[in-house]
Amino acid sequence: MSSMIRIEDLSKVYDTGAVQVHALRNVSLSIEKGDFVAIMGQSGSGKSTLMNIIGCLDRPTKGLYQLDGMTISEMESSELSSIRNKKIGFVFQSFNLIPRTSSLKNVELPMIYAKIGKKERRERAIELLEKVGLGERLHHMPNEISGGQKQRIAIARALANKPAIILADEPTGNLDTSSSEEIMNIFTELNKEGATVIVVTHEDSIAEYTKRIIRFRDGQMIEDRRREAE
Amino acid sequence: MLILENISLAFSSIRVNKMRSFLTMLGMIIGISSVISIVSLGDTMRSVIADEFENIGTTLAYSYIMSESDYYSSNETYTYEDIENIKEAFGDQVAYISTGARASGKIQNGKVIKDATLEGLAENPEVYKQLNMMHGKMFSNNDIKNSRPYIIIEDTTAEEIFGTKNALGKMLRIQVNENLLEFTVTGIYQNNDSALKKLLGGSQTRAVTYVPETVITEKDGWFWSIEISSSKEISVEEFKAKFINYVSRSKGIKPENIRYYTAEEEMKSIDGMMSTLSLVVGAIAAISLVVGGIGIMNIMLVSVTERTREIGIRKALGARMEDILLQFLVESAIISAAGGMVGTILGTSVVAIGSMAFGITAIVKPQVVLTAVVFSAMVGIFFGLYPARKAAKADPIDALRYE
Repeated sequence: MSSMIRIEDLSKVYDTGAVQVHALRNVSLSIEKGDFVAIMGQSGSGKSTLMNIIGCLDRPTKGLYQLDGMTISEMESSELSSIRNKKIGFVFQSFNLIPRTSSLKNVELPMIYAKIGKKERRERAIELLEKVGLGERLHHMPNEISGGQKQRIAIARALANKPAIILADEPTGNLDTSSSEEIMNIFTELNKEGATVIVVTHEDSIAEYTKRIIRFRDGQMIEDRRREAE
Repeated sequence: MLILENISLAFSSIRVNKMRSFLTMLGMIIGISSVISIVSLGDTMRSVIADEFENIGTTLAYSYIMSESDYYSSNETYTYEDIENIKEAFGDQVAYISTGARASGKIQNGKVIKDATLEGLAENPEVYKQLNMMHGKMFSNNDIKNSRPYIIIEDTTAEEIFGTKNALGKMLRIQVNENLLEFTVTGIYQNNDSALKKLLGGSQTRAVTYVPETVITEKDGWFWSIEISSSKEISVEEFKAKFINYVSRSKGIKPENIRYYTAEEEMKSIDGMMSTLSLVVGAIAAISLVVGGIGIMNIMLVSVTERTREIGIRKALGARMEDILLQFLVESAIISAAGGMVGTILGTSVVAIGSMAFGITAIVKPQVVLTAVVFSAMVGIFFGLYPARKAAKADPIDALRYE
């Protein structure tokens, strides 16, 4: 398997004026294409910072970050926008659908920023919504559907531009058990189809779905365990 | 991101906040409609005045003499003798020359008393005044030379005094100063002036009548000013120079003391005054546009803050700074331009209704409308720039965390 994510000696320091907060200290890790990884840790462990850096929302203070062969740690913010758009599929804890905007429009949004033609993006959005089982909810507004359905729309949206990685931040944090199962099953299914999936979570039950668990504490990686042979 | 997407996005955002968007637009609506109505009103007034001077004829002028001392001596005024001399000296170059005599009096016919203006006409009166005659005819040169007590009155006056529009041959008594003059009605004309002109000329309450000037002036009287219309054979400027030269020589007066004002000069000076006035008032009205623009900026700042999370989501999904900037700029430009268009419609309607009431043709110049709409969109872009930049610069991580 080729390396999808390569992180070497990466640190992130927040300068809050009085004190310097070391959110990440000299982290090195690599994630292969097609892997299914859980990043775990308590709040303040640095896992959110790592996820922001992997998601190209933030830049490291020092160190190297390569995604799909591109060196992200040296890029301008406008280049980062384009990487986020084409390479990363975000799924958030609080769904983050655009309010007062239909499911279809929400799924089309990343393709609008990718300048994909109207007809093509509509067809793809419908196809993706059908894939997550919401083919009947194309024109519903986010406030008209359940949490589980919202998260499924968010997953469809994450897949819109065929990203290199799917990055899910506590994707089941706001969901009940059965919806959580549904969502994790979708991720498992996507991973089986070849997608690289990274889930940030603090719940062991969620980590159970993945193939590999990376644990953080105080900005450092304390565990990297592969869950083989189930 | 495609501009069409931004436009439809802006419209849906405006729809969601209908009341707020309308109130924001109101500032632009009031600003644009007042600028358009004020500037158009000014243009309309100018065109009415230009028409008025067109009727008089741009060759018409009046001349008077400035006195050397505090007291006028008799040669510093004009007399009939001067007029005869000028006619003889200039021949065909003078189309019309008169003492410009006017008198005001009271029409008396039994109990009916009506204020009247008597305008004196000299030889070749049709050069000076073209009346729309319903009955009778204009005075002949003989009527004027021989001081015949003839009078031309308006149809409405005829009806009021005599109970009929065809009052030819009727006798009309008018008290002018101490004298009771008796006229024979030899003509009835119809006044086609607009309501505004009648209002400005005071002819709604007064009867405007025409008489030979010789009837209301003394043969050996002297006059502060005379009225002259030069003929088409000679340019107004050339005639003016020759006229001043002639009067100076024949009456022994310094050329700089002889004033000769043409209607054209008069019109230009009034027109200049009017356009300055409408510019100043228009500029004051334009201040309200700035106020409207500040209102747009205020609302856009609120909108950006409210939609911080949405901005974060869009950025996470790959929106670049310029995409977000454009989204909010298009929104403020649309609010502003929509306000501008409604304001234009409102402003032109006000002008149209106002001028209809006065029976005049409204002048709404297309360039005024175009300037107003373009200006309003520019106001929207200018005042939308700061909020849009604020949105575009938002940090995606902070924006996503915003509650």
